Amino acid sequence: MAGLKEYLVRRAVTFIPTLLGVTLIVFIIANIIPADPARAWAGGERARPEIVARIRKQYHLDDPWYIQYVFVMKGIISYFTSPTHEGAIIDPLTSKYVFDNIFLRFPTTFQLALFAEIFILTIGIPLGLISALKRNTWIDTFVRFFALTGTSMPIFWFGYLMMWVFFSHLRWTSLAGVPSPRCYESGTCPITTYIPIFDALIAGEYDIVMQVIRRFWLPGFVLGFRAAGVLARIVRNSFLDALSSDFIEFAKAKGLPKRWIWKHALKNAFVPVITVIGLQFGGLLGGAVITETVFGLPGIGRYAVNSINYLNMPAVIGVTLMFAFMYMLVNLMVDIVYSALDPRIRY
Amino acid sequence: MTIFPTKKVIEVKDLHVHFYTYAGVVKAISGVSFEIYEGETFCLVGETGCGKSVTSRALTRLIESPGRIVKGRIIFYRDSGPVDIMTLSEEELREIRGREIAYIFQDPTAALDPLYTVGYQIAETMVAHRTADWREAFRKAINILKSVIMPDPERRVKNYPHELSGGMRQRVVIGVSLSNRPKLLIADEPTTNLDVTIQAQILDLLRKLKKNEQMTLLLITHNMGVVAEMCTRVAVMYAGKIVELGPVIDVFKDPRHPYTRGLLRAVPNPLGKVERLESIPGTVPNLIYPPPGCRFHPRCPYMMEVCKSKEPPMVDLGEGRKVACWLYVK
Repeated sequence: MAGLKEYLVRRAVTFIPTLLGVTLIVFIIANIIPADPARAWAGGERARPEIVARIRKQYHLDDPWYIQYVFVMKGIISYFTSPTHEGAIIDPLTSKYVFDNIFLRFPTTFQLALFAEIFILTIGIPLGLISALKRNTWIDTFVRFFALTGTSMPIFWFGYLMMWVFFSHLRWTSLAGVPSPRCYESGTCPITTYIPIFDALIAGEYDIVMQVIRRFWLPGFVLGFRAAGVLARIVRNSFLDALSSDFIEFAKAKGLPKRWIWKHALKNAFVPVITVIGLQFGGLLGGAVITETVFGLPGIGRYAVNSINYLNMPAVIGVTLMFAFMYMLVNLMVDIVYSALDPRIRY
Repeated sequence: MTIFPTKKVIEVKDLHVHFYTYAGVVKAISGVSFEIYEGETFCLVGETGCGKSVTSRALTRLIESPGRIVKGRIIFYRDSGPVDIMTLSEEELREIRGREIAYIFQDPTAALDPLYTVGYQIAETMVAHRTADWREAFRKAINILKSVIMPDPERRVKNYPHELSGGMRQRVVIGVSLSNRPKLLIADEPTTNLDVTIQAQILDLLRKLKKNEQMTLLLITHNMGVVAEMCTRVAVMYAGKIVELGPVIDVFKDPRHPYTRGLLRAVPNPLGKVERLESIPGTVPNLIYPPPGCRFHPRCPYMMEVCKSKEPPMVDLGEGRKVACWLYVK
C-alpha cells in the first residue's frame, strides 16, 4: 500500500479537468437552447419586465457565454471556499444556494442507491453463481430470462406494479415523507454522517431505522431489479471463464479440496465483477430520476429534472458536477479495491 | 541400456474416452493399453490431437464434461496395494492427485493462479494433502524452489506469477508437482511453450529430479528429440490408439509401424541418419467418423485389403516391443 497517498493526490488532480470539461459541455448545451431563462424564472409570460431585467443582470444573461460560464463557476467555487458562502451561486427559483439544495437532497438519493445496491448484490451475485454452476439447465435459462426481463422492464411500469402489490394490497411499504432521525431536531446526534439511516443507527433510534427501511426498500428494489439481472449475467460469465481456466484444472490436478478450488475461481471471477458493481453504483447515484419521481422521493434526480424543466441552469450545472464527482469517486474506490485484489494492477 | 523393470506403477487397460459435442461423439481414445514401470521414463508421442494429453489426464480421471471415460481400467499400484482408479470416489481420487500422481502442464503461465504468490501455490498443495501445516509449508516452499534451481528462492517465494519469466514459472509448476514427492509425475509437453534455450534447462532439471527423487515419469511430447533424450520406453499414438510401443532405442533404430517410420522420417532422427526429410501424405482422420479397420490405412504406403475393414491386433514382437499392424500378423 506504499504510494497510496501519492496515487490519491495524482488521481484527485485528474478529477479537475474532467469536472471542468463536464460543466463546460453542459453549459454550452444549455446556451444553445433557444429559450429565455430569465422569463421562465420570473414566472413565465406574465412576468413583470423589471424583474426579468433584474434577473438578467444578476445572472449576467446578457453577457457573452464565457462570462456567464465564469460567473457560474466562480459561484460554485466560492460556495466551497468561503465559509460564509460569500458570492456563491443561488438557485433562482428557490433563492437558496444551489449546493444547499443539492446537499439537502443528496441523502435521499444516497439511501435509495444504497437499498438498490443491496438488492443488486443479494440478487445478482447468487443468481449468477447458481446460473454458472447449473449451466445449460432450466435454472440457467430462467436466470438468463430474468436478466433480460429485468433490463427491459420500464421502471415507470414496474414501479407502479410493485406499488400496487406492496402498498395498495400488502401495505408493506410507506410512500410519503422521508423519515429523519429525531436527533437532527434536538441536535444530539453523537456523530453526523448526514445519511439519516446511519445517523439513526448510531443514535440508537431503531424505530426510525425501520421507518427508513419501510420507505426505501421498495424503490430500492425497483431500481436495483434491472441492474441485478445485468450483474447476474456478468457474474455468470466471469465465473464460468474462471472455472474453465487452466489454473483451475491445475488446482484439480494438485488435488485441492473443492472449496479451495472455488476460492481460486471466485477471486479471479470477481476482478471484472467489481468494475461492473462500481459502475452500476455510480449510475445509481446519478440516474435514479424515474424511480424518485414514481415513488415521490425528493432526491437529486428529481431536482435535476425540475431544474431542466424551468431552464434552471445554475442548478443543472451544480447537479451535473455532483453526479460527475460521485461517479469519479466511485471509480476511484473501484480502482483501489482492484489493486488490492489483483497484484498485476499497480497504482 | 534396455532395462526390464518388473514393478508396475500404473497399468491402463482398454481405455476409451469419448467427447460428446454438438457435431457428434468424438472418440478421442479408443482401446489404449499400456503399463508404466517403477523408475522409468515412459513417453507418449504423437501428433497434436492424437489423444496423448487426454490419455494422461484420464489417468486420474481429470476429464471434464463433455468428455467421459466410457470404458477401461486404470490400476494404480499404491504402496498399500493396487487400486482401480475408475472405482474410486471423488475424495479418494483427490487424495491421489497431487500427492501420488502429480502433473506438470504445458503452459505454466495459465497453470498458475495470477492472484496468489507462487509460495502460496506451492504451500497449498502440501496443506491440501496434510503433508505440512501452513507455516511449515511456506518454509518448505523455499527449499522446493531451491531444488528446482530457482535463483534467489527466499525472495521469489513471495513473487506473483506475472513477476517471473516463463522458464521460472515452469520451475514453479514443477515445484508444485514435486511438493508431495509423488510416485508418478506426468509431464504434459512441459517444454512446448518455452524458449529453446530454456527447454534444455527444464529437461535437464526433470532428469536430475527424477534421479534424486526416484520418481517415475510419464512424459508427453511431440518432439522426437525429447523422446530420444529422455525416455526409457516410448508409445507412439495415432488417432486415439497406440500403434507401436517399445524401448526407445529399438523403436528409433528399427521402427516397425508404417506410421512410426513416417514420423521418424519426417524429423531429423536423433539416433540415426536421415538423408531427406519426408512428410506423411494425407491428414489426421476425423475422430467423429474414424476410418474403419486400421485408422492409419488411408495414409499407409503398405496398405492391404484387410486394413480397410479389420482393426489390427496388438502384435507382441518380443523384447518388450508391440505393434498394431497387419504386416506383422502371421
